[in-house]
Amino acid sequence: MTNPPNIAEQLCLLRENYAQQLPAKLAQLEGAFRRHDNVVELPQLRHLAHSLAGSGATFGYPALSIAARQLETIVDGALNDGRPLSLEESDSIARLIEALDRGARTPIAPSSVPALPPSTVPEAERKLIYLVEDDASLATDLMLQLGHFGYTVKIFETPKQLLETPVDPLLAVVLMDIVFPQGDLAGPEAIIQLSIAKQLRTPVIFFSFRNDLTARLAAARAGGAAYLVKPIDVGTLIGRLDDLISDLPPEPYRVLIVDDNGPLATHHAFTLQSAGISTDIVTDPMTILAHLDDFKPDLVLMDMYMPKCTGSELAAVIRQLDNYVLVPIVYLSTESDTDRRLIAMQLGADDFLTKPIMPEHLISAVSTRLRRYRVLRSHIEQDSLTGLLNHAATKDRLTTETARATRQQRVFCLAALDLDNFKNVNDTYGHLIGDSVLKNLAELLKRRLRRTDIVGRIGGEEFVVILPDTNAKQAFGLLNELREAFSLVHQRASRGLTFTTTFSCGIAQYQLGASANDVHLHADEALYRAKQAGRNQVTLADDDERQDSY
Amino acid sequence: MTVKSLQRILYVEDEPDIQAVARLALETVGGFTLCTCDSGKAALDAVQSFNPDMILLDVMMPGMDGPSTLSALRELPALKETPIVFMTAKVQAAEIARYRQQGALDVIAKPFDPMTLSNTVRDIWNKHVS
Repeated sequence: MTNPPNIAEQLCLLRENYAQQLPAKLAQLEGAFRRHDNVVELPQLRHLAHSLAGSGATFGYPALSIAARQLETIVDGALNDGRPLSLEESDSIARLIEALDRGARTPIAPSSVPALPPSTVPEAERKLIYLVEDDASLATDLMLQLGHFGYTVKIFETPKQLLETPVDPLLAVVLMDIVFPQGDLAGPEAIIQLSIAKQLRTPVIFFSFRNDLTARLAAARAGGAAYLVKPIDVGTLIGRLDDLISDLPPEPYRVLIVDDNGPLATHHAFTLQSAGISTDIVTDPMTILAHLDDFKPDLVLMDMYMPKCTGSELAAVIRQLDNYVLVPIVYLSTESDTDRRLIAMQLGADDFLTKPIMPEHLISAVSTRLRRYRVLRSHIEQDSLTGLLNHAATKDRLTTETARATRQQRVFCLAALDLDNFKNVNDTYGHLIGDSVLKNLAELLKRRLRRTDIVGRIGGEEFVVILPDTNAKQAFGLLNELREAFSLVHQRASRGLTFTTTFSCGIAQYQLGASANDVHLHADEALYRAKQAGRNQVTLADDDERQDSY
Repeated sequence: MTVKSLQRILYVEDEPDIQAVARLALETVGGFTLCTCDSGKAALDAVQSFNPDMILLDVMMPGMDGPSTLSALRELPALKETPIVFMTAKVQAAEIARYRQQGALDVIAKPFDPMTLSNTVRDIWNKHVS
């Protein structure tokens, strides 16, 4: 991908403009420093440093930003204490000014990959479905069912109506019947007309009671993305819709860069960000533990030799942590001695990349490992039936979330869900139907919750939802909405029979100082009370009710 | 759940250079409608007529700084709920936590990459608002 020329050109112009002003700004800063005995000049010095720190890297001068930031911190310290600069501080600043000058002479190239092309409608909004179906009761039923999963459905009785309506920009998918009174293949024919007349490129799912090759062929020729035979199973349809509408975009890969050389780390970060990878930088290796928990990297890119501790030592520490036994650790190093490389690898690293490295090589080497790690992790962490997190992974996340909430003094809620009378479903309809009920609930939770929420299946019919930054009142409202929606979903049994089923839910809000187990226990107690009180309801843990938090 | 899309952004920033590059990053690259103000006071004047979906606020500005601008904005009835994001070169965990307490929805680190700023902004919107 290359930038549209006007963006690249404009960015170049802005960079040139900034470059032209840089010498004057640096001179101004140096002037303020020379007069620093006059305390009045210190705020001015801080302001100039702050401005350079916040702008340098944006215009291609990462080293300038880093040095300016350090300078700002020093002046900040003196100003906060209300004292002049010490001799030592003045020396440091003098050196930093030299670093600023060097930084100002070494711009780096702008990142070459632009942001995703602007889209007039965010993916997350494209949940509108056109349903073309002459059977009004089937159409209404589908509209209601899809509504529970967060889709909006607009019904057309005939293909002609669809042809005469301007296409809504929010349209995500067309669901088209094959047979209409106007013709046995009227559905696919209308789609062909639409694609010619209105350049319709929206995916189409055909459905019909017909299961013969002629009908399927007509659907395929009209570019159908899927073909479903009536009666339609909502779970299957939702699965197809999810495949087609990527409004649950994959999480970006996360790389933690550990390098005491700030400018270099920033440079690597920009390179990786240009390929859509999110990054976090650790310049002080002693702070790595907090970064690991907060950022949850998919890969650690590490400098080999740093002050305070070496890369190998740090790798050994990372490997002591259960959650990071598998995370790939890649060294970026000038080390060329094979023996030393092998020793370093024995301590837990996976690979060596030699500095200096071309940006494309860095991206390619890192991407391969990231992909493999994600696949590996999904095999270990996912429940194979529902694709949700499994028991162990859910518990891990709960522990991490509790630690984060404690550290950052944030709030979260844990909801424990359990399907009501699930054994009856299995006994009455068989395990295959039971499985599809589990899948439908998983799908509903995934679709209706935020991407930051954590959803796991921790036992047969037991589910858990972790809602970060959510209080008991909000969680109650949300889960109650989901409970109601799920109770209205038509579960499909064999021979076209449908039935409905419900779940009960207990919610506990994290209280400062509580452990992950405490929170889980409270949610379970609340769930127990919901079951006792007659099922199909949401109950808050005792503490949360007493606190009158809603 | 209805989802509102992010279209109108107000960016409060005293540095003309950064304003210019933000215009490129958010208008040209990101496709947003952008209004820039060079002070907290100017922002207070502009918000009523511009009616932003989101406000990006530089933390360190002469005169009214980011936090005091935020408090002043919050007193306007129309801006009680508008997401406000701080832009800052100080991104230590403790400071981020403090900014959050002061009512910032999120914090974007400066210096930013002009090519990815709009994605960052959109991610924050999707994460917190939609």
